[in-house]
Amino acid sequence: MSAHQRGTELDLSWISKIQVNQPAVLRRAEQIQARRPVKKEWQAAWLLKAVTFIDLTTLSGDDTSSNIQRLCYKAKYPIREDLLKALNMHDKGITTAAVCVYPARVCDAVKALKAAGCDIPVASVATGFPAGQTHLKTRLEEIRLAVEDGASEIDVVINRTLVLTGQWEGSDFIKTSTGKETVNATFPVAIVMLRAIRDFFWKTGNKVGFKPAGGIRSAKDSLAWLSLIKEELGDEWLKPELFRIGASTLLTDIERQIYHHVTGRYAAYHDLPMS
Amino acid sequence: MAATRTGSRACEIFTTLEYGPVPESHACALAWLDTQDRHLGHYVNGRWLKPEHRSSVPCQDPITGENLASCLQAQTEDVAGAVEAARTSLENWSTQPGAFRAQHLTRLAKMIQKHQRLLWTLESLVTGRAIREVRDRDVPLAQQLLQHHAVQAHTQEEALAGWEPLGVIGLILPPTFCFLEMMWRICPALAVGCTVVVLVPPASPTPLLVAQLAGELGQFPGILNVISGPASLGPVLASQPGVQKVAFCGAIEGGLRLLIQESVWDETMRRLQARMGRLRGGRGLDGAVDMGARGAAAHDLAQRYVHEAQSQGAQVFQAGSMPPDSPFFPPSLISDLPPASPCTQAEVPWPLVVASPFRTAKEALAVANWTPRGGSASVWSERLGQALELAYGLQMGTVWINAHGLRDPAVPTGGCKESGSSWHGGPDGLYEYLRPSGTPTCLPYLSENLNYDTFGLAVPSTLPAGPETGLSPAPPYGLFVGGRFQAPGARSSRPIRDSQGNLHGYVAEGGAKDIRGAVEAAHQAAPGWVGQLPGARAALLWALAAALQRRESTLVSRLERHGVELKVAKAEVELSVRRLRAWGARVQTQGCTLQVAGLKGPVLQLQEPLGVLAIVCPEEWPLLAFVSLLAPALAHGNTVVLVPSGACPIPALEVCQDMATLLPGGLVNVVTGDRDHLTRCLALHQDIQALWYFGSAQGSQFVEWASAGNLKPVWVNRGCPRAWDQDAEGAGPELGLRAARTKALWLPMGD
Repeated sequence: MSAHQRGTELDLSWISKIQVNQPAVLRRAEQIQARRPVKKEWQAAWLLKAVTFIDLTTLSGDDTSSNIQRLCYKAKYPIREDLLKALNMHDKGITTAAVCVYPARVCDAVKALKAAGCDIPVASVATGFPAGQTHLKTRLEEIRLAVEDGASEIDVVINRTLVLTGQWEGSDFIKTSTGKETVNATFPVAIVMLRAIRDFFWKTGNKVGFKPAGGIRSAKDSLAWLSLIKEELGDEWLKPELFRIGASTLLTDIERQIYHHVTGRYAAYHDLPMS
Repeated sequence: MAATRTGSRACEIFTTLEYGPVPESHACALAWLDTQDRHLGHYVNGRWLKPEHRSSVPCQDPITGENLASCLQAQTEDVAGAVEAARTSLENWSTQPGAFRAQHLTRLAKMIQKHQRLLWTLESLVTGRAIREVRDRDVPLAQQLLQHHAVQAHTQEEALAGWEPLGVIGLILPPTFCFLEMMWRICPALAVGCTVVVLVPPASPTPLLVAQLAGELGQFPGILNVISGPASLGPVLASQPGVQKVAFCGAIEGGLRLLIQESVWDETMRRLQARMGRLRGGRGLDGAVDMGARGAAAHDLAQRYVHEAQSQGAQVFQAGSMPPDSPFFPPSLISDLPPASPCTQAEVPWPLVVASPFRTAKEALAVANWTPRGGSASVWSERLGQALELAYGLQMGTVWINAHGLRDPAVPTGGCKESGSSWHGGPDGLYEYLRPSGTPTCLPYLSENLNYDTFGLAVPSTLPAGPETGLSPAPPYGLFVGGRFQAPGARSSRPIRDSQGNLHGYVAEGGAKDIRGAVEAAHQAAPGWVGQLPGARAALLWALAAALQRRESTLVSRLERHGVELKVAKAEVELSVRRLRAWGARVQTQGCTLQVAGLKGPVLQLQEPLGVLAIVCPEEWPLLAFVSLLAPALAHGNTVVLVPSGACPIPALEVCQDMATLLPGGLVNVVTGDRDHLTRCLALHQDIQALWYFGSAQGSQFVEWASAGNLKPVWVNRGCPRAWDQDAEGAGPELGLRAARTKALWLPMGD
């Protein structure tokens, strides 16, 4: 991830001044999805780009070293080699942006990625994920341990008790939600967050990253998210240092679409490697 | 495989992440044109008409200039034929039960749904407008319009009892329009039982397609007829016997004027420019563009305006990704335009936005209303109280708060001032095509001999006319202006004779200067009267009613002098009192709230006064007609200038004595004198907001002609008498509809 924020004086008046025109946000959300379709080779290229933004994630209670290993392998080889060759993209080093696991699995991931011979960063959710309702002391310790194990990025669950009582925290990257809520990354919410990122950039010159997570399952969704970032923040935000997509099954669908683009046929599930 | 061919391209796009073209196939639009051998005629009575020996004009793709088809130009006999078809089918269509018409409209909505791709590609192809606009907004709205009006037709017998369809409607569309504008007008007309002849400018295939879809429903082929021809056929259509109303539609939205408060000027301009920079323009049939093009003429118009503005020192910001060549024009933001420059007065062409700063909300309101146009506006503010204050104050047909451009079939859309006074959608849209049942069908009477230059110009001289035999005490002499009786500017008088021919008395001879004074007084009184609560207005009308009752014996004897029987005279006074009370009671029930699909939050449908309303009262029923017209005008918050009956103005002047003590000065002004002359002065006055005329056919014709100067709404009787003593005609809902205008105030909500 990018260098840390230089930081800025916390000015709560910025937050109290924020006003959201919800009906307008909803309309804008609809527009972006309807007005920016991407087709043919543009679609293929955009989808490959989307792959490079994915934090390939597994956050299950029954994760073990074997499925972590498979995940890491998929992160390194997200799209079947012959498909990439057909697009002449096989030598572009296309991998996912990171793998994202629970703290206890960071070790497994680091080992698997090392074995695969790649430097994809390992991200760990931490601090009492997904509720964040544990003591500050244990949460800090959790981060320290994950970093010790080799995690280079930490997805921190903020203390929402503090937020709801108006006590804010700052960060390098903001994420729509844990991905474990009933409603996760939605366009209207994202628009509000992106406008906040833009305002902060205009005021301070600092670029904060953005990560939608949860519910992004289809290739079409991922294209809409890319357009959204492009429209609201511009091309400069379309890089893994500033934009990530937290997803687990999205990659499979993207690969299927690439398969279709290259061959003109829809793939059966067994045509593509498992993740 | 396709992939190897595109491999290197993918690499490039992977780096730049640019958008690509998303062409929408227009093969079906071309195939449809092929069914007509690329040669479009008119669609009349359910079939294509291609008369011989007519000139034709090419229909071109506005972007490539490619010839798509040739379109026949209609001639007078083609117009007559279409009107005849509409007249023939009217008998059948208008007598069907509403529920039956509802079914037919629903079938048309389904027909459009089935062929929507053809409709949207054709419309986008020939107009150059962005397909997303047509596909995502216009076509669904066209279906909603049909469905909404089907529901209205279904409940017509119940909800619109006492009204009947006007008859054959002529609709004239301007050179640049979208087919939706046609739908807004034909849906209510068809729903209430009218039939329609649409005159479209040459090379507009979409209305023809809609007519074909309607025609192919099988039944009632002649209810919608479309002919294409030059604008010069407009008067021909209007003067066809049987055409009961002509609706005219102006050009579609142009550019915008933006007023930004100084304190947020920099921030707003920055955001605006950032957003404009992301707009994409291109061929309308590209699914990923925000803006299409509107042809070379629109391009040149925008170009000229920008050059002119630049030469006057304005700042022009242009951005967005646009093909560089004509007919594409980038969205342009113009600021720092000097207030006195001609550009500030001119209408802003599409796709331009002219931004100017303001200091206070009050100033913004003054600037926004300082225009002859009054279509729609939006107010953007986080302060709801202030936004509402502005929204109420804007002289516009539609105001959106923190939104722009929303439309719904249930919400009446109209305008005021030069944006016209007709309504589309909602209940108001239906009344446009209805008349109170039993009203005589007045055929358009047009006298070739009427000389507009001299009508009412000269005032006949009046001389002393014998001994006065009037009752004493005589009413005060003078014109009732600004709350008191004043001597006329001309300082001369006209004799009023009773039914025996004896001199009854003299009334003041009003003239142009007196009308000017009366209108000024009415304008001064307007803010105070509008600001009154409905309850206060009702109380004043009731107080006036009570005063009339007290004056009954005088009024009755005045009427008797003019040959009215005692019984009838008593009834006239009594009915006049009732009218004042009735309208006083109706004041309280104005305006309502609408709920619109897809919108959280209400749409307020406000009843607003027109402003200064001028009324030329009929000769008959000198007291009752005067009161029947005055009461609804006052109840709806208008201030009034009245010309009373010419033969018998004295009862009206009697009432003025009570108004002098009861009403605020200037609220009601009564000017006596030569009716034709006063009518001329009123019709040619640009600052009167509406004019009602009850008099001769010639006078009606003059009023309509002269009022076109500021497009004020007029209501004329074309010489047909009205039964003022009947409630339907003397106090019917028609008067209320004519005395107020609707404003739709959209209040989207959400947290």
